[in-house]
Amino acid sequence: MTAPETMMRRIADPAARPDPYPLYEELRRTPVARQDDGVYTVSTYWEIRSLLNDPRVSSQTRPPLVPTPSGARSMLRLDPAEHDRVRRIVTRPFGPPHTPRRVFEMRRGMADTVRGLLDAFADKDQADIVDDFAYPFPISVICRLFGVPVEDEPRFHLWTESLLGAADFGAEHKPDPHLLDPDAAKIEMGGYLAELFDKHRKDPGDDMFSALAVDDGPDGRLTPPEQVATGFLLLIAGHETTVNLITNGVLTLLRHPQELKRLKDDPDLAVPMIEELLRYEPPVQYLPNRRTMDAVEVAGTVIPKDTDVNLMLAAGNRDPRRFPDADRFVPDRGDVEHLGFGNGVHYCFGAPLARLETRIALTEFARRVKGPELVADPPPYRVNPVLRGPRHLPVAYRGVRS
Amino acid sequence: MRLVVDLNRCQGYAQCAFLGPDVFRLHGEESLLYDPVVGAEKRDQVLAAAAACPVGAILVDGPGVREVDAVVG
Ligand code: HEM
Ligand code: SF4
Repeated sequence: MTAPETMMRRIADPAARPDPYPLYEELRRTPVARQDDGVYTVSTYWEIRSLLNDPRVSSQTRPPLVPTPSGARSMLRLDPAEHDRVRRIVTRPFGPPHTPRRVFEMRRGMADTVRGLLDAFADKDQADIVDDFAYPFPISVICRLFGVPVEDEPRFHLWTESLLGAADFGAEHKPDPHLLDPDAAKIEMGGYLAELFDKHRKDPGDDMFSALAVDDGPDGRLTPPEQVATGFLLLIAGHETTVNLITNGVLTLLRHPQELKRLKDDPDLAVPMIEELLRYEPPVQYLPNRRTMDAVEVAGTVIPKDTDVNLMLAAGNRDPRRFPDADRFVPDRGDVEHLGFGNGVHYCFGAPLARLETRIALTEFARRVKGPELVADPPPYRVNPVLRGPRHLPVAYRGVRS
Repeated sequence: MRLVVDLNRCQGYAQCAFLGPDVFRLHGEESLLYDPVVGAEKRDQVLAAAAACPVGAILVDGPGVREVDAVVG
């Protein structure tokens, strides 16, 4: 086994952000590789998928990227059976079997929000797809769903940016002077969420956070610190990723104008196209949060017990042994069981919501915006290598259809 | 249109029941119930559910996803 010693550092380098895929290709030459700091990377499709379903691989033993002040853990950082208990409680006000229509019934409100955002495009001939479209849309959706006052958005925007921007991925980069110290952001956001849950406990509304604060199902209720940990996770996971999927979608369509035209003519194409996007440009590039609880053999290599493992989802998604023509964007490839939402017990909780949001955003963009073109390619990217996506995506166009 | 869920593959992720609530229902935490024949007005729900299933367990006849004929003859 030849260890590609500096691979994770090269991936973390902001210069690699616009196109990390050649690095992933290099990484796949050693499907299970030990890095110089002792962390193992796993970068081929079947090997990643098997570890995502392996009970010897834990999500609980590595320290959380965003530790909550109370020390309680969210489901993302718990193993079964504790994980399953928390996930069942949080699913109760969100989806089937208890609340089967909640996400589905949000379609109309989502379409209204998207319509309003695109109407505002009509006054100009250039827009930033991030700031004017992909960012505000999911925020309004999750604020309504969770019961977070939308006017508080600028505050938790600053907190999440400060937390995510600061996470240390081993690359040299200057911290953004507009951001808070990550510990301060953590404490402020924790305090804000504790107050919000208190408020919902006293005066519950028809939203998910209220249900988490007051409802008892067969598994009982989350403790107040668990509620805060869940709030952190839902606000961050429910937003940053969706922004990046919508933005990556517009970027990819503008790089493939014939596919944009196909989508405009056939809105049904959005359904398989979104799966292909989750394969081709996944918003979560890798999972830096697993650790072995036992020695695990994969692809002929033994990963020792108590070893940190990075599961390289974006590399597995382009594994040519799994997907023919893996580096091509093929919206109707049919066989597209990607790893973009993970797999196994932690399979993305919000996937149905993200799919609906992205579908509405991309079909409406294709239908309404006339003659869209990229102003800069590649666009500027955020520094975070895990939650990867453009910081801005300026697009010029020639008007908006009604 | 006809559909079949390969219940050996299905792992109860419930993605189908979120996106096609008029066709797919979870009974308790584990078991999935669905309508094997649905009218055209629910086609959209079926296609969205089939595309979202993380293990490709939903087979549909008609354009778009997979051939059901191989399974039900
Ligand atoms: C395109 C958008 C999204 C992508 C690409 C995405 C991706 C992922 C991935 C890869 C995981 C697995 C993490 C792991 O195995 O450690 C995950 C888990 C999770 N996601 Fe998403 N996500 C998206 C949107 C959302 C939304 C909208 C929400 C909330 C409404 C959400 C909430 C969660 C939660 C709570 C988990 C943890 C689940 C568990 O531990 O059981 N995500 N997501
Ligand atoms: S989405 Fe697929 S795996 Fe999940 S319940 Fe439906 S058929 Fe089963």
